[in-house]
Amino acid sequence: MSRQSTGYWFILPALVVLAMLIAYPVAYTGLLSVTDSQSNFVGLKNFATVLRSRATPQAFWNTLYWVGGSIVFQVLLGTATAILLNQRFPGRSVMRSVALIPWVIPSIVAATTFAWMFHTEFGIINYMMTTSGLIEQPIGWLTNRDTVMPVLIAINVWKLFPFVAIMVLAGLQSIPKELYEAARVDGANFWEEVRYIMLPQVRPVLVAVTLLLVIWGLNAITIIYAITRGGPANSTLITPIQIFRIAFENVQFNQAAALSVMFFAVAILIVFFYIKALAAAPGEAR
Amino acid sequence: MTMNAHVLPPKQAAAAENTSSSRKKSAKLERTGPGALFIVVGCILLVVICLFPFWWMSLSSIKTLRELYTIPPIWWPTAPTLDNYYKVLFESNIPRYFLNSVIISVGSTVLALCLAVFASYGFARFDFKGKSLFQAFVLVGQLLPTAAIIVPLFVTLRVLGLVNTYWGLILVYMIITLPLSVWMLTSYFKALPVELDEAAIIDGASRVGVLFRITIPLSTPGIVAVVVYSFVTTWNEFIFALCFASDSSVKTLPIGLAEFSTEFNTDWGAVMAASVVMTLPIALLFMSMQRLFVGGLTAGATKG
Repeated sequence: MSRQSTGYWFILPALVVLAMLIAYPVAYTGLLSVTDSQSNFVGLKNFATVLRSRATPQAFWNTLYWVGGSIVFQVLLGTATAILLNQRFPGRSVMRSVALIPWVIPSIVAATTFAWMFHTEFGIINYMMTTSGLIEQPIGWLTNRDTVMPVLIAINVWKLFPFVAIMVLAGLQSIPKELYEAARVDGANFWEEVRYIMLPQVRPVLVAVTLLLVIWGLNAITIIYAITRGGPANSTLITPIQIFRIAFENVQFNQAAALSVMFFAVAILIVFFYIKALAAAPGEAR
Repeated sequence: MTMNAHVLPPKQAAAAENTSSSRKKSAKLERTGPGALFIVVGCILLVVICLFPFWWMSLSSIKTLRELYTIPPIWWPTAPTLDNYYKVLFESNIPRYFLNSVIISVGSTVLALCLAVFASYGFARFDFKGKSLFQAFVLVGQLLPTAAIIVPLFVTLRVLGLVNTYWGLILVYMIITLPLSVWMLTSYFKALPVELDEAAIIDGASRVGVLFRITIPLSTPGIVAVVVYSFVTTWNEFIFALCFASDSSVKTLPIGLAEFSTEFNTDWGAVMAASVVMTLPIALLFMSMQRLFVGGLTAGATKG
């Protein structure tokens, strides 16, 4: 039937481009990871080399810390913002635009601006915190090993919570009015509505958004690279930056490919278990 | 829904029962709120959190060197200056990077749109073997950790001679723009009545004619959403640009800005001015298209 084959012609160009840019590189990464720079098969030698490096486990835990810490606060803050912006009050549409600003600002701009605000000597944040008595001495936020990752996570949260807010807001707006009315007849107050109507109803949105945030968190290199480049002393080194370093600073493409394969596998595992856990959950009486 | 099972405080239950039918109607229209105080405090917090960094960036960009490096910080510059902007616009590589960014973002947006329009029409209007498989493949592209494929992409681009060229980045950006564009446009096209297509075909239009004369004009909000999304993501993209465009003739703004700020002695005034320069086009685009963009984005997300 001609109708069938016409469909193929429409999707063909996009598929060819994506196959060339995604399927082929993925396969090629696998090949690179088990060969040396002269394309000789070397088995798992590259993997062993990479795993022996002390930076690898450190980067792994840093990545989990970075992604996990970011997501928790992005979802909490984003959902709270969405509930706020779903209320009726004068100036609501202006507030909705304002809430979008962090998302609109390019990551690199957010990174440089916050780097300036967290500047140890002349940063506005140290100034505000010392004068208000929260801290006694200015803190070297971006040079202290204990504070640098939380600060970077805070910047990442600032950047992406508006995205969660928009998506959850869209979910909130699609909740049928009857649910609220029924709740009101039962005498529910606002917080009960949040607990028993809004949160359960936007659950599917939150599930989808969180998955996107996981992926974006795993891809997010901009903020960390621009501010610390993985330092001090590898305390903010995440795996994507490590891959970049091995490939383009050490020029060890095969080792970088081996690390990519492992990174890829872990990412897929996380996504797989996430989807499995959450696909099963809505069946529970809730 | 556990709502009904929830035990109400006796006072509220009584109040609910006492509601007369005439009051019920007006009560129905009112939504319970968290209280005005909560809303006001929430809004103030939100404004401060969202706007303060932006405001501080703009303010720092018009401060003189001396005002930037004083303690306590100066909240309102006594002698606002455009020196930082002069430095950025006339004494640095930023204008060149700006041009590169425009070329690459526009190029990849146009290319992604062309490919996505055809693919989405194919997905929305035809039934063929393996369709769901192909759709899943497109979506997987969106879920791919991009850092995992920079090495083979670099090797491939090197073989094709596309490292440090506009075309290299434009092509590579299809990975991040095409999947979501196809996804959003497919749901848009699906929402249009198929009868329109059929009527036009009976009148003698070809499939491509239908696409360009009926489907596309009717899905302007979706197209706008795709354009804004693609432009903004490519304008801000960092890791591919960092790996595949290291030469200053093709370097994009994000990389230029990152270099600016991590040099040994950072000129924060100039960095902030460059940040403003980089943000403005995106902010203008976003603000003018905000309604359409957010509508298109969430339509794609909820209809799937």
